[in-house]
Amino acid sequence: MVAIEDRSNRLSVTRAGGQLITDYWDNLFAAREQGKQIVWYNGGALNPIFQAAGLAWCHGEAFAARLAAQRLEGPAQLAGAEYGYNAELCSYARTHLGCAVLTLGGNDAHHLQGKEGEHSGVVGMNDSRELAARLPSPDFFVNNYAGCSTGQQWDGVSFRLFGKQLPIFNISHPFLWGNKPDAGYLRGEEWESASQYVAGQLRELISFLEAQTGRPFDYDALSEAMTYIKRAAELRREGLDLCKASPAPATFWDWIACVAPINFLPGDQRLVDYFADVRDEIATRLDAGISGVKDEKYRLYFDGIMNWNKLGFLSRKFAEHGAAVLCGRYIHNAFWQEPQLIDTTDPLLGMAQHYLLCPTNHGTKTLDYLTLKDCRDYDVDGIVFHSTRTCRAFTGPQRLLARSAQNELGIPSIFFEGDVADASFYKEEILESRLVAMLENIDVRRARGGQLAGAISP
Amino acid sequence: MADAPNPLARLAEVAREPREYIGRWRSAHPGQQVVGVLPMNFPREIAYAAGTLPVVVQDDRKPVTDGRSLLPEFYCGYTRNLADQAATGRFQGYDAVFMADHCIQLIGAADVMRAVLPDIPVFFGMLISSMSDTWAPAKIAEMMAEFRAEFESFTGHPVTDEALRSSIRRHNQDRQLIRRLFDERSSGRATFTPGQLQDIVGASMVMDPVEHHALLADAITQAREAPRDDRVRVHLSGHLCHAPKRELLDLIEDSGAVVVDDDLFHGRRYVSTDVDESGDPIEAIARWYARRNVNIPCPTRVQQDADWDAYLVGAVRSSGAEAVIHLLPKFCEPHMLYYPELRKGLDAAGIPQLLLETEHEGLPEESVRTRVETLVERTRRRRPVLT
Repeated sequence: MVAIEDRSNRLSVTRAGGQLITDYWDNLFAAREQGKQIVWYNGGALNPIFQAAGLAWCHGEAFAARLAAQRLEGPAQLAGAEYGYNAELCSYARTHLGCAVLTLGGNDAHHLQGKEGEHSGVVGMNDSRELAARLPSPDFFVNNYAGCSTGQQWDGVSFRLFGKQLPIFNISHPFLWGNKPDAGYLRGEEWESASQYVAGQLRELISFLEAQTGRPFDYDALSEAMTYIKRAAELRREGLDLCKASPAPATFWDWIACVAPINFLPGDQRLVDYFADVRDEIATRLDAGISGVKDEKYRLYFDGIMNWNKLGFLSRKFAEHGAAVLCGRYIHNAFWQEPQLIDTTDPLLGMAQHYLLCPTNHGTKTLDYLTLKDCRDYDVDGIVFHSTRTCRAFTGPQRLLARSAQNELGIPSIFFEGDVADASFYKEEILESRLVAMLENIDVRRARGGQLAGAISP
Repeated sequence: MADAPNPLARLAEVAREPREYIGRWRSAHPGQQVVGVLPMNFPREIAYAAGTLPVVVQDDRKPVTDGRSLLPEFYCGYTRNLADQAATGRFQGYDAVFMADHCIQLIGAADVMRAVLPDIPVFFGMLISSMSDTWAPAKIAEMMAEFRAEFESFTGHPVTDEALRSSIRRHNQDRQLIRRLFDERSSGRATFTPGQLQDIVGASMVMDPVEHHALLADAITQAREAPRDDRVRVHLSGHLCHAPKRELLDLIEDSGAVVVDDDLFHGRRYVSTDVDESGDPIEAIARWYARRNVNIPCPTRVQQDADWDAYLVGAVRSSGAEAVIHLLPKFCEPHMLYYPELRKGLDAAGIPQLLLETEHEGLPEESVRTRVETLVERTRRRRPVLT
């Protein structure tokens, strides 16, 4: 068997990010012993508010993604399935709810699942369930889900799973449908009124947190945390912009490795240092002519939430074909991506706006604008749509986006099946054959001087 | 317009072929618009008060063809059917589309409509779904007022309080008559089969409420009460947004079960709640939306003190149902999320249950029959033995 050369060249600095993340989770697992209150939340990054309130926080999607990335999602998903969650349900939700079932341990939820998981016949199942079951129980829930309707319902069900005993706070986000004549990205009456509405709810959240903690909220601590986060976000944007170069010094997969730090790590100097290091390594590579993919031949856009089980595998797979995946909705249109909106002296409005800017909270009109802009800016040759099986929010507009890219920019695209946290949906052969076909199409197009393969000459 | 052989058949015709009714209505109301309304909570009362015919767009059961290239195959059958209707010219009867529900799959379908039907306005005003928030009542009322303003803009004339009150009265009257049939059925006096009741509700989503009420009143006059027999009494639960296949309802009743109650959207859920006829009509419609989720809780809403599971157990006790059949449209996430709570609640109450997943494409009849018959047998064994 001939060994395939690994042509990917991932940033070395992201390993440091990995350590920050490990430290964060270890702290969370020890939070109860440290006497901290614990909040479970989903959706937009509320962690600076929790940080300022002196809480330990657990982002449900993040924990599900972590389990999947470590290939330890099985026990939680099995526990969820035994409890009754259908395999077609959002795999973030059912992994996290499965963790809740495991966390609840010997009480009703565990009793209902009949301990079947202990006799699943899966080798190593009982050992690997340890991490899934380490998630400390929450003291209360906060939901901050924009775009996807399942998000709010998920925490509503978590509330029920815990016997309706724990407080819960919901933040509602208007979907940015974009029908009004003045509507557009970051503009228009719809945007302004939605921003104020969500900011108002954040103020209500702070009152809720004061009631839960019994302490007045520390607004100075929030400003401080948001100052660090804003700076980290600026550095992240600078790094992203540097990747427009050809060949690109870093790829989408490097930025995927940076999702966790920007999404839920504490706002502090370590976060700023991390993103400064990321930006600097990219700049150094640029100066030295080092690329993220050896012999970059194709430049691609990736649309879809990450297939967390396959991060390393996919980065090598695309590189193997000389394909540098450079940008994507999940990276460029999420995670404090518009830091100029944040006024660190009074950050709530800018934070609210970022929650509204969740990449699943726009109508396709706006997504068209954002996607085509990035395709132009990064000089993209093709789009890869991750048809994320259990994520209806991300996949809904993908067919329309593919059509726009083809019609407006002449950019071809492919779809492949996979999922955020359930490896069983990934179809390797489909991705391989479709990717090869698209790359050949791009070759033919180049040979014809830009004309699409299959197009008839006038 | 009522030239069909009998009123019940006419109602079934409208429910099954709304386009024919829409065409006739247009001819009879020149200059007035027909608006497609997406389920489950857009208030028809406001649209009707504006002089339009609001039609809750039905799953037309046609195979999904062009729609396949517009929405993923793991969207629910109803939303894929909507996309297909829009892509293949089956939305021509509508002058606009209005939506109020935050369901990401429904939003996906609406986005397809907006893309492939650029000449038809597709309005989305999102009703808050977190019902326990202290600010929810004000936000709901605000959105209802926005719907009114949108219809004023769309039709070019004001929607008066008087028109709203009249619309509310007419819709209440129709709902009350339909609801009476469900109440009678659950108390043991069934007049119509589940399929007929579904047609009655489906037609009410399409027709002018005055016309529907008149037809239904005629149908009731002509109907004969069917005494409840010895079949196992079941409650049908779920199937949000669109109707289950009529063949499935027939199959259930042909497998030893008799449906005595339901909380289906094309059933009791749709007619559960009237709008208060006193006071400010927009405020009243806002309260209707909130109360609806208390009367029959819905998994698409988040409300900590409204429990679908508790409702279901109570409904079963009240109707004397012996078992519950959950009808879950494949890929319906709110239903998938809530289902374990239902299962847990019914298990605790000792009520037998069966989950049937339904799909837009096809109905595995023999498999369903076997499963329903098994439920029936299991339930029958629980009956007290009379000596």
